[in-house]
Amino acid sequence: MSITPEQLRYCDSHEWAYVDASVPDVAIVGISAFAVEELTDLVFMALPKIGQNVSAGSEFGEVESVKAVSPMYSPVSGTVTEIHSALVDKLESLSVDPYNEGWIMKVKMSDPSELEKLLDWNAYKKQCENR
Amino acid sequence: MEIDEALLQNAQPDGPIVLRIYRWEQPTLSLGHFQKPEDRYAIPGLGELPWVRRKTGGGAILHEHELTYSLIVPDNRRLRSTGDSNGSELIDHRPAPSKGHSEKLYRAVHLALVRNLQGLGWNAQLSETCTCQTSKDKKPEPFLCFLRRSPVDIVIGQHKILGSAQRRTATGLLQHGSLLIRNSRLTPELFGLLNEACDPGRVKSEQSEKLVQQFWVNQGSVAELDVSQDGGKPTFDEIELWTGWMVASLKAGISEVLEVNWEQD
Repeated sequence: MSITPEQLRYCDSHEWAYVDASVPDVAIVGISAFAVEELTDLVFMALPKIGQNVSAGSEFGEVESVKAVSPMYSPVSGTVTEIHSALVDKLESLSVDPYNEGWIMKVKMSDPSELEKLLDWNAYKKQCENR
Repeated sequence: MEIDEALLQNAQPDGPIVLRIYRWEQPTLSLGHFQKPEDRYAIPGLGELPWVRRKTGGGAILHEHELTYSLIVPDNRRLRSTGDSNGSELIDHRPAPSKGHSEKLYRAVHLALVRNLQGLGWNAQLSETCTCQTSKDKKPEPFLCFLRRSPVDIVIGQHKILGSAQRRTATGLLQHGSLLIRNSRLTPELFGLLNEACDPGRVKSEQSEKLVQQFWVNQGSVAELDVSQDGGKPTFDEIELWTGWMVASLKAGISEVLEVNWEQD
């Protein structure tokens, strides 16, 4: 499986969510290439804990670049079932492939309909271009 | 600093831009957001101090003989176009197209301070060097902020005298920083603006000395600049004068990149 940005739904704060049809109640979450380019050199990422409850639009973790700390906001509500722990030691992979190697967490969704409120690729791309 | 964080959390679109200057009631350590509290014991004396954790990154700062500034900008405020402070086309600051360390607000604020310090005769400039570590480097940076370097830090010679850090959230941006006036006995390896180590870089021309004296006179008081290295406390007059100077400098820098009608609180 290879995730492409066109398949994803986005927050306006640049996090993305992907649902594999074979596991329809779990969202894979990451941050977009646009966000990674903005942040530039990353020095640290604070991940959520497995079992942690997250809410759509609320902070689930933080990322530190060389000059700023930025929260990451969850696109969906639910419970964290997996975290990409190895990512913390290879943040540079976000610059190469933020949609596959760069996944951050998996969330068992409490309300999958929240995905419909997110931006699709075209809307997200337009938002980024207008900035 | 809790006030800074609360102001950021509660920032509203079209809300005010807030600039604060403050000192600390007692020597206090502020840690960068991801620093480990146990690391403060590595430096003698620091482990016994009260400490707080910032919401911004970077290294640890001993708030003793220094001034802290904080700037809170709501999310929808826009930066001016580069190089034009007369209100031409404004651009959105949120995904500021500038990359890496050159974020407009850092540079504008720090350059304003550099200009004013140079005007007073100090050989201040931006560092334009970096000790920043990305994850692949895996080498620890110094514990203390003032031993680290980023390109927009303000240095006099080899000595860093001002650094800043940011937190960017959905509600807005917090930028705060510390101007080191004098070092502390607990951090003798650092040198502040009034330490003798920062004095050799000064252009002590007749004009610069007059400028410095005039500055103090204009502030309503004349204070002798004590540049001894004994870590003694700046006088009340020195602190109050520099607070006023710093506010003026920061406002000038911020106004380069943001439309602001300043009100005094």
